[in-house]
Amino acid sequence: MTVAPGELRLHDAVRTFQLRGDRGRSLKELVLRRHADIPTVTALDHVSVAIDGGERVGIIGRNGAGKSSTLRVLAGIIPLHSGRAEAGGRVAALLELGAGFGREFSGRENIALSGALYGLSRAEVASRTDAIVAFSELGEFIEAPVKAYSAGMLVRLGFSIAAFLEPDVMLIDEVLAVGDAGFQRKCHDRLAERIAAGMTLVFVSHDADAIRFACDRVIVLDAGRVTFDGATEEALAFYNTSFEQGRPWTVRAAS
Amino acid sequence: MICPVLRYRFLFEQLVRRELRQRYKGSVLGVVWYLVNPLVLMGAYGLMFGVLLKTAGTDIDDYLLFLFIGLIVWVFFSQSLLSAATSLLDQASIVGKVRFPRETVPASVVTAQLATFGALLALVIPVAVAVRGTLDPALLLLLPLIACLFAFVVGAALVVAILHAYFRDVQPILAAALLPWFFLTPIFFRVDQLPGLADNRWAEPLLKWVNPIAPFIEGVRSVLYDGRVPDGAVLLYVVVAAAIALGAGWALFRRMERELAVVL
Repeated sequence: MTVAPGELRLHDAVRTFQLRGDRGRSLKELVLRRHADIPTVTALDHVSVAIDGGERVGIIGRNGAGKSSTLRVLAGIIPLHSGRAEAGGRVAALLELGAGFGREFSGRENIALSGALYGLSRAEVASRTDAIVAFSELGEFIEAPVKAYSAGMLVRLGFSIAAFLEPDVMLIDEVLAVGDAGFQRKCHDRLAERIAAGMTLVFVSHDADAIRFACDRVIVLDAGRVTFDGATEEALAFYNTSFEQGRPWTVRAAS
Repeated sequence: MICPVLRYRFLFEQLVRRELRQRYKGSVLGVVWYLVNPLVLMGAYGLMFGVLLKTAGTDIDDYLLFLFIGLIVWVFFSQSLLSAATSLLDQASIVGKVRFPRETVPASVVTAQLATFGALLALVIPVAVAVRGTLDPALLLLLPLIACLFAFVVGAALVVAILHAYFRDVQPILAAALLPWFFLTPIFFRVDQLPGLADNRWAEPLLKWVNPIAPFIEGVRSVLYDGRVPDGAVLLYVVVAAAIALGAGWALFRRMERELAVVL
C-alpha cells in the first residue's frame, strides 16, 4: 500500500533499542553470544498515527518518550521491529544541529551535498543555491567551513536548505529554537507558505509557545506510547497534567 | 534497485570528489602521493627481488614492468578494501541522519581508487607498448578486464564496509591479512616459474585459483605485459568472480544496512 505525497502513517509501530555505550559489536561478543544481558528501551510501543497532507502536527513528551525516534522512523532512517511506517513523497528532516553536514566543507559545498543526499541533480541544486544562500543571510560565511559556524548559523543553513528542497513532508526536531527571533519569524513564514502548498509539517519541541504557534494538532508521547492525539490546546493541557503526576522512566532488561 | 542509484548520481560524484580531495588535503604534493606510493613500492621490490635476491624474477624480462603491473592492481584492490572498511564510519554524520542509498558510500571510495589506478595505467600502457614494440589487439581486452576488476572490488568493498560497521574488528583483521596475502599473490613472480612448485604441486591451484585476486592480476598482466589474450579459464573466472562478488556483496549490504543508523 502506498500513501499519497505528504501523508504519513504508522501502523502499530514497535521499535526498541539496546542501551549500551559502544555501538559496534565486537566479534568476541558475537562468538560468545554475550549480548543478551544488555537492557533495552522501547522507543515506539505500538504507535499508530495517521497524518494527512498539509497538516501541522506537533509531538511533545518528556525526554526519552520516543519523539526523536518517531521522527527518525518517519524519515526512513531507522527501521521498525514490527508494524509499518509509510511516508508519501519526498521527506526532508532537520533532526540535529549540523546533521548531514561535512564539517570540513564550506556552507556552499554543504548545500550541494544536502541537495545530492536528497536525490537532486547538479542542475536542480544549482537552481536553488542562490535562494538558499539569500534566505540563510549567512553572507560571506557561506564560503567558510561549517565547523566554524555557531549553533545559530548551523540552524540558518540547515533550515534554508530543507525549506528550499520543497519537500512533501518536513520533520523538525527542536533545532529551530536556536535561531534568533528575526530568523524564526522568517522560518515560520516560509513554513506557512509551504504548508499552504500542501506540505506536511511534523514538529518536535518542548516549547509550548512554539508548538502553539506552529501546530494545530499535537500528539503526546509517553514511554513510546501515544497518550493523547488531538487539538493543540487540549494536548498541552493534558501534557501538563500528566507531567505533574510524574512517572518513572521505562527501562527494562531484555528477557 | 538501479533507478534510485541513478537518481543519486550527483551525490555519488560528490562523494568521489570528496574522497579524492580529503585524502591528501593539506599535503604539499597532494594528488601526486597517489602515484608516488606504487612507484616507491616498485623500486623497492624491483631492487630486492629483481636485482639482489634474483629468485623467481631472474628469467622475466623487463622485470620492473612486470612487477609494476601486478603492483598497481594489488594496490587498487588493497587500498580500496582498506578505505571502504571504514567508509561508513567516516561518513557516519550523513549515514545516520539522512535516508539515501548507503551503497554509494563504499562504491564512491572504490571509484576514487579507480581514478588513481587509471592514472597509473595511463602511465604504464605507453611504456608497455614501447617495451614490446607492438600494438597488440589483446589490449582491447583491458577495458572489460578492468570493468570486471572494478565490479569485483566494489562487491568486496560492500561486504567489508557493512561488516565493519557492525563488527569493528573487520578493518584490523583485513589490514593484518593483506600483508601475507600480498606475498601469496603472483605479483613479483609467475606461479608457473616457482622453483619449489615441482615438489609441491598442491600449491599451484591454491595460488592460481583460490586467491580471488590472482586471476585478475594474471589477466591484466597477460594483456599488458605479454600482449596476448589471457587463458579462457582466467577470463571465465574473472567474469564469474565479478558477478558473484557484486551480487552477493550487494545482497548482504542490503540485508544489513537497515540497522546502520543504529549501529554507527
